[in-house]
Amino acid sequence: MNLSRRPVIGLAALLSLMPAVIGRAQAAPRLPGELARTIGYDPKTFDPAKVDDEESETIRNLTAGVLLRFNRLTQKVEPELAEDWNISPDGKTVTFTLGFGLEFSDGSSLTARDVAWSLRRVLLPATAAPVAEEFVSPAGVTVDAPNDRTVVVHLPKRVIAIGKVFDEIAIEPAERPSEGRVTAGPFFVADYRRSRYVRLRRNPHYALKDSAGRSLPYATGVRLDILENTEQEIRLLQRGEYDLIDSLAPDYFELLGKRAPGLVRDLGPSLNTEQLWFNQAPASPLPAWEKAWFQSRAFRVAVSQAIRRSDLSRIAYLGHATPAYSFISPANSFWYNRSLSAPQTDVAAAKAALASDGFHLHGAELVDGAGHPVKFSILTNTGNAAREKMATLIQQDLAALGMQVTVVTLDFPALIERLMHTQDYEACLLGLENVDPEPNAMMNIWLSSSPNHQWNPSEKTPATPWEAEIDRLVDQQAASDVTAERKKAVDRVQQIVADQQPFIYLVYPNALVAVSPKLQGAEPAVLAPRLTWNVERLRLQGTR
Amino acid sequence: MKIRASVLWLLAGLIVAASGILVLPGTSYERQDRDATLAASSAMHRAGTDALGRDRLVRVAAAFLLSLAGAVVASALTTAAAAGVGTLAAFGRASMGWTAMLLCDVFLALPWMFLLMMVRSALPLTTLPAQSAAITFLVLAALGWPASARAVYRGALQLKTSDWMLYARASGLSGAGVVRHVIPNLFPLLLPQFLISIPAFVMAEANLGALGLGVGEPLPSWGGMLFELNNSPMLMQTRWVYFPIALLVLVLLLLEGVAVEA
Repeated sequence: MNLSRRPVIGLAALLSLMPAVIGRAQAAPRLPGELARTIGYDPKTFDPAKVDDEESETIRNLTAGVLLRFNRLTQKVEPELAEDWNISPDGKTVTFTLGFGLEFSDGSSLTARDVAWSLRRVLLPATAAPVAEEFVSPAGVTVDAPNDRTVVVHLPKRVIAIGKVFDEIAIEPAERPSEGRVTAGPFFVADYRRSRYVRLRRNPHYALKDSAGRSLPYATGVRLDILENTEQEIRLLQRGEYDLIDSLAPDYFELLGKRAPGLVRDLGPSLNTEQLWFNQAPASPLPAWEKAWFQSRAFRVAVSQAIRRSDLSRIAYLGHATPAYSFISPANSFWYNRSLSAPQTDVAAAKAALASDGFHLHGAELVDGAGHPVKFSILTNTGNAAREKMATLIQQDLAALGMQVTVVTLDFPALIERLMHTQDYEACLLGLENVDPEPNAMMNIWLSSSPNHQWNPSEKTPATPWEAEIDRLVDQQAASDVTAERKKAVDRVQQIVADQQPFIYLVYPNALVAVSPKLQGAEPAVLAPRLTWNVERLRLQGTR
Repeated sequence: MKIRASVLWLLAGLIVAASGILVLPGTSYERQDRDATLAASSAMHRAGTDALGRDRLVRVAAAFLLSLAGAVVASALTTAAAAGVGTLAAFGRASMGWTAMLLCDVFLALPWMFLLMMVRSALPLTTLPAQSAAITFLVLAALGWPASARAVYRGALQLKTSDWMLYARASGLSGAGVVRHVIPNLFPLLLPQFLISIPAFVMAEANLGALGLGVGEPLPSWGGMLFELNNSPMLMQTRWVYFPIALLVLVLLLLEGVAVEA
């Protein structure tokens, strides 16, 4: 080991942890009527069919012309390139009727042939389009274009909420994929300088018009600077160099809020959840008595009751999170179970629950019926300050029950190795990012046979009666086309999860954004992209 | 000599003050005052609190003592190992010396940060914070001896060829007798090696802690507290976040001062 003999040299390394406040020249001058924002890194692809990372998705959302658009505010699907669409009663045929006179950004005509080609390309295994999985059986999907304005999609079996899938498929010129250079969306990619910026220009042939019949989009373009430094981003927003920040961490939200209160908006709980769970997998290398604790409902409920969620929200998220008791957020207004009964914070009840399960105090230490002291670790990922704080707060909350908790932070690959492969962990604290309010999208977590059924992955048969009931309800809601029946099944799943606490939900982090007062037309939504979902209607004050 | 005495007195004063803070009734480095997070200085929290409402002064005092104690033990182990390897390499057969120095070079070339990361991730998850602190310093000691061993080897080689050693060996001194005479003569070399390793280990632990690889929560460490400096919004909230780094710089200067004077 080559230890530094001069501590001052090592000190320089420490000082490098301090935020770099280095002046940075603006990437490119803003053009008249152009919107400006940042993205954190270079998009991995401009091919809208191959989008698999956040920043590539940002570009796709701004450039893609789609058959149907998912309105993030109303959470409903609306026609865009398709002026009409319908689903057959058996749910296996989706028919789109395209609008008149559609054109791509280069002025060429957009017909059903282009749509069919784009859909088939996404479904081809060679394309490896992530969105293809949403068709459930993409290999069995066929697409016809009986005339220039009609496209028919035949599905091998019903796909729940199929409409939203078409919001993610960009229609491109047949046989001429252009990586966003020719689009039917509001903007097209005009310029890209690696590590500097992506510049989008207005599509003069965009199909949508506003209520007064004026062509959209209003803005002449969008400049996306590639910038990772949030401190610098908020300074430039304050100076008017940027128009919006789509997502802010709570501490930066507070900082900006103090400097310029008019810029920030807390939109309330997002769809995302933060949760703690215990490893219940029978094949895990944990001692038998620990498995018995974690498989005990009383134990899990007691832990849930001992956690002060309001403190997690107030301290770890500076008040910008909402205590959570279900996998569906109240922001998901339709699917959230408003009559949910979940264990609330009650340390006395937690102690009673543990006593009823044979646990008792030995001095200050909690021991199980066989005398094993209750000691376990909570694993979380390094670098997520809010999670690390929550784990340390929970450590103290559980100490009130006599449990000795160790907090362990690991880098993500090491953590995933333990969760998915070796299953060598006791408890884990992580979050789940939900981009879709449709509960079917997260049901893979609840099916006992799923590898994502984290507390006990890939069960051959459901390990418990309540897991069997969840399986049945999940299948039932997926097979039904009656919304009321689906809602009833999803409500029941939420109640079972609240009763059994396989995931102990902690908080819903709030959706935090910043918007320049010069930006008009912004209608912030908790669903991503929060501020640019209606980018065609955004414009700077003073422009037409 | 005057400077050295002043430095030693100042260091001793810091140790006494930190110990005093920790033994005051009602102090705890892990108690969370959840209604006073990131608080400024007050009668209850003289140096304010951290983001979880823990008393910053108590945590800094505990981190200082823990780090110093760990670094002193690690340095003692390193110096002992270096003395053994360096002496054996110098007075053993030529092949032994060559092999020992090759081993030192191999150790010096190891990517020690990755090794530490591997060791850390291989530890049982239930390793208690105090155990993780002990393991951190032991690993630092295990990886830190080669540079000292090289210095000791060079010193021991000079001793081996010195006139008095040649005379002693010509008079029949060998084996344990040689070692018994050599070690006291190496002492002027070992003491600076010991003293100079202490700030290096303090610094190494702080660096590891800042990377999340050192002492586990809720046990305080320099690195864990310096990690707060990575959050610029927090820097705007209270100037007391700079207190740990200010004290660390002072401690390192004092330790360095002791080593230089030696």
